Amino acid sequence: MIGRILLGCVILLTVSSCVAVREYEKVNINDPDMVLSEMKCDRNITMFQAYREAAAGANGGKTGGGCGCN
Amino acid sequence: MLWASAQDDSGNNSTEYQKRVLESAEVDFLSSYYSQDGDNAAVSGGIGNEKLTDATGTIVVSIPLNKDDVLTIDAGISAYTSASSSNINPFDGRGQADPFVASSGASSSDVWGNFTGSYSHSSADRNNIWSAKASVAAEFDYFSIGLGGSYSWLFNEKNTELDLTGNVYLDTWNPIYPYELRPFGPGGRGINDPLFNVYPISGNQGYNPDFTEFDKRNRNSYALGLGLSQIFSKNAQGVLLVDLIRQEGLLSTPFQRVYFQDVPDSFIEGFQLADDIERLPNSRFKVAVGGRFNYYINASLVLRTYYRYYQDDWGVHSHTASIEVPVKLSDAFTIYPLYRYYDQTAADYFAPYETHLSTDPYYTSDYDLSKYQANQYGLGVRYTDIFTRLKIWEFGLKSIDLKFNAYERNTGLTSYIITTGLNFVMD
Repeated sequence: MIGRILLGCVILLTVSSCVAVREYEKVNINDPDMVLSEMKCDRNITMFQAYREAAAGANGGKTGGGCGCN
Repeated sequence: MLWASAQDDSGNNSTEYQKRVLESAEVDFLSSYYSQDGDNAAVSGGIGNEKLTDATGTIVVSIPLNKDDVLTIDAGISAYTSASSSNINPFDGRGQADPFVASSGASSSDVWGNFTGSYSHSSADRNNIWSAKASVAAEFDYFSIGLGGSYSWLFNEKNTELDLTGNVYLDTWNPIYPYELRPFGPGGRGINDPLFNVYPISGNQGYNPDFTEFDKRNRNSYALGLGLSQIFSKNAQGVLLVDLIRQEGLLSTPFQRVYFQDVPDSFIEGFQLADDIERLPNSRFKVAVGGRFNYYINASLVLRTYYRYYQDDWGVHSHTASIEVPVKLSDAFTIYPLYRYYDQTAADYFAPYETHLSTDPYYTSDYDLSKYQANQYGLGVRYTDIFTRLKIWEFGLKSIDLKFNAYERNTGLTSYIITTGLNFVMD
């Protein structure tokens, strides 16, 4: 069941991606809260997570090194 | 003015107005206050006070050099006090040495500084972006040099973006070892050290740890990142992120104690003397795969979601998921409720206090490498003034952010962090 849902999501996203959104249609996409990265003011939150958690990376933040953290 | 903007840098007239990548200089002031508490300090082998506070201030200045190029300077300083690191030397003579009581030693506080410069160039059609950066970071026992670069390619009418990033950090430790182990290092006097005359040993009085200092002091980290962003509709977009990280060198923290179950226990006052320091492999390979999906529900609501799967060759597997729902209360105010879930399995080399065997090749009692689940709850508010009416010198205040996040591990560690951000734009 979960596999079918995931497959459906993949198909949906693939089909959706075929539709090119024009520049003048990107008003909502360009909303500051829609940014596909961490917000600037969240940087120190990501930093403390990098110290306290073994996992790092795939979030636009630290991946390891550059500090005494993992 | 439009005519001036329509001239390129070589002085040739252009018939088409080209928007600058960054219209004017921006300055961000970021600060945070972090506080944590718990009873599993790694410095004292998995038991003891891990109370810590940290205050950080950062300034980020972005300067458009021309219509295509941006220079960013990022400088930060962080000052912390830590009960656990104060117990690198718990014998301060000001009271009974105890892992649950902070010492007044030199290691009870430190300052970390960071400076990063980056430069980015965008092609005329804005479909190709190159960037390079260099950084230095330093604290008392650590120095780091970082180099990095990235390339972004936008295509499909800028509906799709492919990002490649690479970063290298060349770090050097100035190892600091637990105070009672130093006499057993090179040139030390062992049990004849004055420490053991001033502070008599109780329990096993034949204290003789098999301690050797690390022969490596460097830690090199190499990271390769891939990002694929896609706009799905006028209201939805997402990104798939993959990071591959290789670390080599001294990956252990030199001042974190380990107590073995098969070695008799020795004490000075209420503090158990270290059997050894943590010993971890000198290489680590990490893989992180994550994704974000954001959906613009309506003019008042946005849905921001994130998921990451992580694993490494130390045996850690982890899931991270978060959801944030910015709610626009007005043109000026937005609130940011957030929930984040995190879990991880234990590293192969982790065991709690007095559980490791002295015959183990690798060992640590650092609970950051233990199995646990964590919940994080956050609430923030942003004030935005698109007219930048409040002026300071030639800069107008564009936004203010204030966030509070609370974090709870099922191992008992709790923490909170307050962050602020001020964004100024040059008029």
